[in-house]
Amino acid sequence: MSKGRVDDRRKSEVLQGTLDLMILKTLQAIGPLHGFGIARRLEQLSEEVLRLNEGTVYTSLLRLQQKRWIVAEWGASENNRKAKFYSITRSGLKQLARETDDWERISGVIGRVLRLAAEKP
Amino acid sequence: MIARLRRLWARIRGTVRHEDAERALEFRDEIEEHVQLLAERYRREGMPAEDAQRAARRQFGSTALLEEDRRDMQLLPAVESLRADLVYALRMLRKNPGFAAAAIGTLALGIGANTAIFSVCSAVLFKPLPYPEPDRIVTLWERQADGTLGEVAPANFVDWRDSSKSFSGMGAMRAASFASSFILGGRSEASRLTGGDVSSDFFSVLGVRFLLGRNFLPEEDRPGVQVAILSYATWRDRFGADRDITGKAITLDDTPYTVVGVLPAGFRFGSAAAEFQPRSQPDVWIPLALDPQHLQRNAHMFRVIARLVPGVTLARAQAELGLIGGNLARTYPDQNRDRSIAAVPLAERITSNVRGPLWMLLGAVGLVLLIACANVANLLLSRAAARQTEMAVRVALGASHRRLAQQLLTESLLLAGIGGTAGLLVALAVTAALAPHLPPDLSRAAASPVGDVRVLAFTAVISLATGIFFGLAPLVGAKRISSGESLKHSVRVAGATHSRLRNALAVAQIAIAIVLLIGAGLMAKSLWALLNVSPGFRADNILTARLSLPPLRYPDNKKIVAFERELLDTLDRRPGVQSAGLATYLPLGGLDNDSSFLIEGRPPLPVGMYNPAEYRPASAGYFEAIGIPVRRGRSFKPGDTADAPWVTVINESMAREYWKGQDPIGSRLQLGPKDPWRTVIGVVGDVHFDGLDGATKPEMYLPMDQSFNTESGPTIVVRTALDPGSATRELRATLTAMDRTIAVDRIQTMEQVVSGSVAQPRFRTVILAAFSLLALVMASIGIYGVMNYLVVQRMREFAIRMSMGATRAEVLRLVLSRAAALIGAGTFLGLVGSVGLARVIMGLLFATAPLDPLTFAAAPLLLAAVALAASYLPASRATRVDPMVALRCE
Repeated sequence: MSKGRVDDRRKSEVLQGTLDLMILKTLQAIGPLHGFGIARRLEQLSEEVLRLNEGTVYTSLLRLQQKRWIVAEWGASENNRKAKFYSITRSGLKQLARETDDWERISGVIGRVLRLAAEKP
Repeated sequence: MIARLRRLWARIRGTVRHEDAERALEFRDEIEEHVQLLAERYRREGMPAEDAQRAARRQFGSTALLEEDRRDMQLLPAVESLRADLVYALRMLRKNPGFAAAAIGTLALGIGANTAIFSVCSAVLFKPLPYPEPDRIVTLWERQADGTLGEVAPANFVDWRDSSKSFSGMGAMRAASFASSFILGGRSEASRLTGGDVSSDFFSVLGVRFLLGRNFLPEEDRPGVQVAILSYATWRDRFGADRDITGKAITLDDTPYTVVGVLPAGFRFGSAAAEFQPRSQPDVWIPLALDPQHLQRNAHMFRVIARLVPGVTLARAQAELGLIGGNLARTYPDQNRDRSIAAVPLAERITSNVRGPLWMLLGAVGLVLLIACANVANLLLSRAAARQTEMAVRVALGASHRRLAQQLLTESLLLAGIGGTAGLLVALAVTAALAPHLPPDLSRAAASPVGDVRVLAFTAVISLATGIFFGLAPLVGAKRISSGESLKHSVRVAGATHSRLRNALAVAQIAIAIVLLIGAGLMAKSLWALLNVSPGFRADNILTARLSLPPLRYPDNKKIVAFERELLDTLDRRPGVQSAGLATYLPLGGLDNDSSFLIEGRPPLPVGMYNPAEYRPASAGYFEAIGIPVRRGRSFKPGDTADAPWVTVINESMAREYWKGQDPIGSRLQLGPKDPWRTVIGVVGDVHFDGLDGATKPEMYLPMDQSFNTESGPTIVVRTALDPGSATRELRATLTAMDRTIAVDRIQTMEQVVSGSVAQPRFRTVILAAFSLLALVMASIGIYGVMNYLVVQRMREFAIRMSMGATRAEVLRLVLSRAAALIGAGTFLGLVGSVGLARVIMGLLFATAPLDPLTFAAAPLLLAAVALAASYLPASRATRVDPMVALRCE
C-alpha cells in the first residue's frame, strides 16, 4: 500500500460500504449479472449519482468475491460476447440480511437525530 | 537437497505467478469490455467515436488504480497477514531484548540438548547398519539352559548351515578371544596384525562389495590354503594403497599369503556395540579353513551370522532353528543337551547394551525441554500481562479472537524457530565437545548431527511443538477478553487465569526438576558404588602391553617360555620395576576363555554336565605385579615349568563353589580325560574380570608353561614406580635389546583399563548430572519469575499492610510461605514421579536401591533450598516497598 493513496481511500470508504450493499441487493433481486449490467442497474436506481468512477464497482466485486459473498462465472452476454457473470452466494444472502437490518436501524437513528437537530433552534 | 528445494520453490512461485498473470489479463479484458460498452452507448447517442471513447474512460475512472487494487487483494490474505504478524513479532522481540534473550536462550539450551542427545540416538540406534538390506541379517547363538547366549561350536555351525532353509547364507567368524593374529613380515619394525577368521560365506551374507579383488572362494576355505583379504586401513597404511595388490603375496608369520581382495573403506563388523567400531576391526582376514574331519562340538568359539531369505520372517526362521536345535540336542546329548538356537537381528544385538541408557537420556533431556517450555510460557505470560491493554484495545477495534490467537502463535513460533536454530548450533558445539569422550559403545555417534536428516527433522519438529506448547499459554487467558465485558474487568479475569497457570507451571517445573535430580543422584550413587568396587587387584602403578612373538622364531612352548623367563628376569633387574608378570587374558580386557574340569576322587558327573571355570594362563610374578592377593598356599614360581609337577592356583570363588569349606590345597584336578593331573597349590582373591559390575566367577590359573597352547601373544604386566611414559620407554628398550622382531601394542596403564570399563556408566551419569543442573537452574528461574510477578501484583497490598503496621518479617513470611506452598506441591509431585522413574532405571543401577533414601531426601532439600533462595529476592523487595510510592502508583 502506498502512503499517498490512503487519504483518497478514506473518503470513498463509506461509499464503498454502501456500494457493496447495493451490489449484493442488486444481485439478490435480479440474479446473475455482469459488471456492466450491475453498473447500469445502479445508474438507473441511483439516478446518476454514481455517474463518476464506474470502476469502483469492480473493486467492490473483487472484495465481495474475496469474502465469498458472491461468485463469478464466465458466460455469454446478451449480444453473445464473453462476459463474467456474478451471482450472490448463500453467505452473501445472510450478509445482505444482516446489513439491511443494520442499515435500517442506523438510518432510522440518524434520521431521528437529524430531525431532532432540525427542530431544536 | 538444497538445490532440489530451491527448484521446487521456483516451480511453486512460477505457478503462482503464471496464474496471477492469467487472472490479470482476464481482469483487464473484463474492464476493457465494460469501457467499450460505455463508449458504444455514447456513440449510439450520436457522439463522435473519439469523444465517446474519452467520455467512457472518464465515466469509468482509473483502470490503473483498479488493477492495483486487484493485485493487493489477490495476495493470499493468510500469507499477507502472516507476513504482517511476522514483521510485528520481530518488532516486538526487538523492543524487548531482555525477554527475547531469555526466551531464546532457554529454548536454545533445551532444544540444543535434545538435538545433541537425539543425534547420538539417531547414529547409534536408528541409523541402518552399513550393509545392503541390513534388516535381514541375523546373528545366531547357542542358548544355554540359563538363557545366556553363547558362541557356537564349529560342528554345530556346520550342521545349522547345512540343514536350515530359512537363510540364503550363513557365515562364521572366530570370536575375538580365539582370533588369529599375525606378525607382518618384510619390514623394518615388527608389527602385529589382528586377524579375522571367517568362512567363505561371511562377506556374502553381509553383502560386501570389495574395493579390489574378491571374496574367498569356497575351495579356498580349507586348511592349507594361504589367502588373505586386507582391511582398507591395512591396505592404505601398510601397503601404500597399492591398486595392484591382488594376486601379490604378503608375509604373515613368515608364511606367504596371497591377497585376493581389499575391503571397502567403510566396512565394519561386530556383533556388540563395543566391537562395532573402527578401532576393533581386524586388520587382515583369512579363511576359517574348517577341517571337515575334525569338527569340534565342545569348543564354543564362533560368531555366526546369516541372511534371511526374502519373505521369511524371523519367527519362521526361529521355528526352523528350534527343530534343528532339538535334533542336535538328541543326537549329541553330551555336548548339546539343554542348548537351543537363538536368532537375534544383528542391529538389535549391536544396540542391546546401549538402548536402555540412551532411551533414559532421551527421556531425561525431554524433561529438560519441558522445563524450558514452562519457563518460556511463564515469560510469555508476564508479557501477556503487560500487553493486556494492547490486546483489549485490539479486540475493541474489531480484531477477532482468531486473529489475535494467530498473531500470538506467530510470535511463539518465531521464538521457537529462532530458539531451534540457536539450539542446532548449541547441539553442534555439544556434540563436538562430547565426541572425544564418547564411550566406545557409543562411538558410532561421533559423526556430526548436521547432515543427518533425521536429526534436522527432529529439531524442526520439537521446535514447532514447543512453539505451539508454550504459545498456547497466553491464549488460555486471552479467550476471556470478550466483547460483553468491560475492558478493565476482562483484564483482571485473564490475570487470574494466568496466575493459576503460572503457579501450575512453576509446580510442574519443580516436580520435573526433582525427578531429574533424583535420577542423576541415583546414577551418581551407582557410579560411585561401581568405582568403589574393589576389582580384586591394585590398579595403581601398573603398565600393561600386548606382545607378539613371531611364530617362526618362537615355534614351540619351550622357546616362548624361555623368552618370557628372560624378559621377566631382565625387567625385574631394571630400576623402578617392582614386579613383572605375564598373562594371556587381562582383567577388564574383554577377552576371556573357560574350560571344564574334573576333581580327583569325585564321582563322575552325569552325561552332558561339567564343572566350568575360567581358564587363565599366567606366569610367575603375575599375581605380585597385578596385586591379586594370595590367600592360602603359594603363587607360581619360575620353577613351575612343563617338566616340574603340574600345578594350578584357584580363586576363592572356585574354592567356595567346588570345595565348600574343605581345604582345596593338595587336591588334584584335570581339564579333560587326557589332561595330566594338576595339584592345587594356592588360593588367590577373586577378580571382577568381565566388569566392575559383573559377578566374580570361579577361576583357575595355570602356569604359562603348563597351559594347552602357550599363547604367542601374552600381555605383560609391570608394577613400577616410574610414570607411564618412562615405563613405556623402559619396556620398549628392554624388548628391543632382546629381540627387535617382537611387536608391542595396546600399551596402557591398568587405571586406564579400569576407567575404560566404566566409560559408559560414567558418560550417562555425567550427562544426566548436567541435565539435572540445567533443570535446577531453569526451575529456580521459573519460581523466581512467578514470585516476582506475585510481588509486583500485590505491591499495593503489601504497602497497605506495612503502613498498617505489618513488620518486614511478616511480609517476608507472607511471600515466602506462598513460595513454599508451590515448592511443596512440586516436590510432592516430583517424589511421586521419581518412584515411577526409579522403577524404570532400576536396570541401570549398580548396588543402589532404586528408592535410595539418601537421594530421595537430598534432591528435594537441594531443590527447596535453591528455589527458596530464588524466591527470597522478590520477597525481600516486597519488604522494601515504600508505601507512599506504591500507593500513589495507580
